[in-house]
Amino acid sequence: MLNEQALASANQSSIQTLQRFNGFRAKRRTYLLALLPFIVLIITYELAPLMTMVIRSFLTPKTGEFTFANYAAIFQKKLYRDAVFNSLSLSLFSAGIGIVIAFFGAKAIYESTLKRRNTFMSILNMTSNFAGVPLAFSYIILLGNAGVLIHLGRHFGISFLENYNLYSFSGLVLVYVYFQIPLGTMLMVPAFQGLKQEWREAVSLLGGGSVRYWFKVGLPVLLPSLLGTFSVLFSNAVAAYATAYALLGGNFSLLPIRISEQFVGDVLQRKEFGSALAVMLMVLMVGVTILSNWLLKRAGQQRSTYGK
Amino acid sequence: MANRGKQKLNLTIMVLLSAYLILPLGLTFLYSLFQEWTSMLPTGFTLRYYVDLFQDPGFYLPILRTLIISTVPVLLCTAITILAMYVIVVHHPKWQKYMQIFCTIPYSLQGVILAISILALYSGLPLPFSDRIAMLVCTYCILILPYIYRGIQNSLNAINARQLIEAAMLLGYKPLAAYLRVVVPNLLSGITVSFLLSVSLLFGDFVVVNIIGGSYYPTAQMYLYKMMFRSGQQTSAMIVILFALTLLISAGVLVLQQRNKKSVAHKQEVADGFHTI
Amino acid sequence: MAFIQFEHITKRFGRNTVLDDINLDVEKGKLVTLLGPSGCGKSTLLRCLAGLENPDGGRIILDGEDITNRQPSERKVSMVFQQYSLFPNMNVFDNIAFGLKIQKIPQKQLRTMVEEMMAMVELQGKEHALPRHLSGGQQQRVALARSLVTRPKVLLLDEPLSAIDAKLRKSLQHRIQQIQRELNITCVFVTHDQDEAILMSDIIHLMNQGTVEQSGAPIELYTSPKTSFAASFIGNYNVLDGAAFAKLVGEPAKPNDVAIRPETINLTLEAPQMQPDAYVLSGEIMEFSPHGNVIRYTVRVGEQDIHADALFRSFKLFQTGQKVYAIVEKRNCLPVM
Repeated sequence: MLNEQALASANQSSIQTLQRFNGFRAKRRTYLLALLPFIVLIITYELAPLMTMVIRSFLTPKTGEFTFANYAAIFQKKLYRDAVFNSLSLSLFSAGIGIVIAFFGAKAIYESTLKRRNTFMSILNMTSNFAGVPLAFSYIILLGNAGVLIHLGRHFGISFLENYNLYSFSGLVLVYVYFQIPLGTMLMVPAFQGLKQEWREAVSLLGGGSVRYWFKVGLPVLLPSLLGTFSVLFSNAVAAYATAYALLGGNFSLLPIRISEQFVGDVLQRKEFGSALAVMLMVLMVGVTILSNWLLKRAGQQRSTYGK
Repeated sequence: MANRGKQKLNLTIMVLLSAYLILPLGLTFLYSLFQEWTSMLPTGFTLRYYVDLFQDPGFYLPILRTLIISTVPVLLCTAITILAMYVIVVHHPKWQKYMQIFCTIPYSLQGVILAISILALYSGLPLPFSDRIAMLVCTYCILILPYIYRGIQNSLNAINARQLIEAAMLLGYKPLAAYLRVVVPNLLSGITVSFLLSVSLLFGDFVVVNIIGGSYYPTAQMYLYKMMFRSGQQTSAMIVILFALTLLISAGVLVLQQRNKKSVAHKQEVADGFHTI
Repeated sequence: MAFIQFEHITKRFGRNTVLDDINLDVEKGKLVTLLGPSGCGKSTLLRCLAGLENPDGGRIILDGEDITNRQPSERKVSMVFQQYSLFPNMNVFDNIAFGLKIQKIPQKQLRTMVEEMMAMVELQGKEHALPRHLSGGQQQRVALARSLVTRPKVLLLDEPLSAIDAKLRKSLQHRIQQIQRELNITCVFVTHDQDEAILMSDIIHLMNQGTVEQSGAPIELYTSPKTSFAASFIGNYNVLDGAAFAKLVGEPAKPNDVAIRPETINLTLEAPQMQPDAYVLSGEIMEFSPHGNVIRYTVRVGEQDIHADALFRSFKLFQTGQKVYAIVEKRNCLPVM
């Protein structure tokens, strides 16, 4: 049993210390210096570049007047229209395929034994590092003009393989899907933890099977995570640079590559137009996020009117 | 409940996906070991491509540059963020949500937007702003900020930093000392995971270094890109070496994650015990 | 033949034998409780009946049919879980109607059935509410409605009230009992709460470490526990070591432990007359504490402490340290194994 007096006096001195500390905060603000490097970093390399880029996208080169011309040019010139369209469709396709595969992959992990789960997740972890230039290259030796699978196709007479063109839209989708799978699956795994076993059992006892469970309970509950992961996969794809660059260089019109061309390289520097393209890219990313949030809300509303 | 059939299906899915993911990797590895692969099977087993790479003095420099540029920003960013978190944790917990906003914006900036916006702003300005290497380091700091911040925040939550600070102050420490001597050492084991994650992220970066670094600071990834047009087998060999390096880093992440789980739980017990005195 | 028969049910998890050759019958239309501490196997046995677990050995017969190898969806058995019963993405109406939709009941009839059931659990007006907007008690009522609307043969309840506030529990216990009697549906109830079991059940099966320790009507179990485990689990029995008790009362030592209910012990300050069919023990009040409408005295008798309960008719009768006499009828000293 503690000595009650000793405890009381200890409490007294602790209260005094805390009071002193609270007063300390009000008197000397020098501790804020610790925040300084961070604020400097954020302002100079995050906020300032972002804001100047947005502002610059509305300026005319040389005169500095406010204008929408940069944005208009994106839609007037075929090259850049194509870039927007290609980036959008490439990302939607690869993210869409990616999320479907991620669902089944994460579901398999959720339903599997510990050992299999760990092995598969290690493989996912390992291959998620394989992206960009190395990934593009390995697909070139796999399915490029002199690729191994091409030879295989020629040998076995599979014309689809023999004549496959990697340097096309479908080739890009194929390579993009590769790096969407590990990312998407790993993002979806925690979501499955939220599925309660009781729901599955309840469906079973009420006479339903697996398919009914997934369509009526599982997928609706997972919907927020599915849409969220889709947004991440989309953003990942639409801003991807290295893979596209290594595979196709400037031959296929994609936003990230067109953007970088405005700032680097032999072509004349067009900062204002490039900034507009970059803002366009951000708009695409934000747009998809907003769209998925809206879809989520609509699905939620539908639930509560059901049964009237 | 139809268990066995479901297990078989799931196993098939996992095996198929694993095969799909490992195929390009495995192929690249094989490619680096043979001289020719024009027909079904490769011919001419040789280790010469690896030997050539290791003997080429021009090979080591890009790798070294990559290692430096992958670690320095992480160290810098970690130090800056830990210091900033002192103010948040000890003095102004309510500012945490602003911190979170600033540390999550880089997610949506991704690689290319961040790189060009920084380049556009600072390349015309006088030194030190227009120094490419400084630009590169700072850009990388922002790029990995979300990961570093999240690692630190999770660690702080796990070790209940507030309680530790109060306990230390009751023992007579001044706030900054309490933070530096009590909280930070406990943080370090928790953030090693995001630390290494950031390093491997920067290690594989191409977009930022291509746009900002350019010819000023050719890293391994850029060296690799140039090699793509020279020799396929050599490129494969280099890819294998680079990938092995990233694997080493990732393996380090996993090992530390395991050890970290135990040590964080242990530290939580210590913090709880501390507080009940 | 009983409505539900468990024959030689065995179940192992790894090296653990969770169910050890269970043989149990359940009569039609009765509310039967599986009572026991955590890990005794009661939930596992329930889940075997539902088909959510498969026994390693034995048979389960329901309404004359061997259902041991049948899928849960084919057993016509319903279950209310401890928590997370309801589908979170559906409102109350759709949750209850779920089973009926699977049976392809036409819309009008479905509507009537759901509304009837909602009236029975007194949740009218909440058709459009989502589970997350309901209290725990309301959620379990919906779960109950959902389980009953499909007219199952058996209703299973796996500790349905453990996650509910104590105050609400009483009213839900009554409601469940009421509904069960009104529908005359066979019910198997699992709980670790002996008060709940005694209140609600027609028959209690007390389980311990994979076996059924004792079965009987609530009062029977309460007044006549057969083993020291039963005595220590049901009621608030004092379980005294056989040899020590014999020494206290001056009788030859018996092999069995002795169980005495606290409310059967009378405490007096004056030495009572010797009675032929009662023991008189002298002891000292160590402490006392109020328990509801009873004061529980801890009396040291010899080297042991026993509890004696006295109704709280007036203010406390005895003080700590007082020497008292404890009188207990011989027939209330039960030998247990």
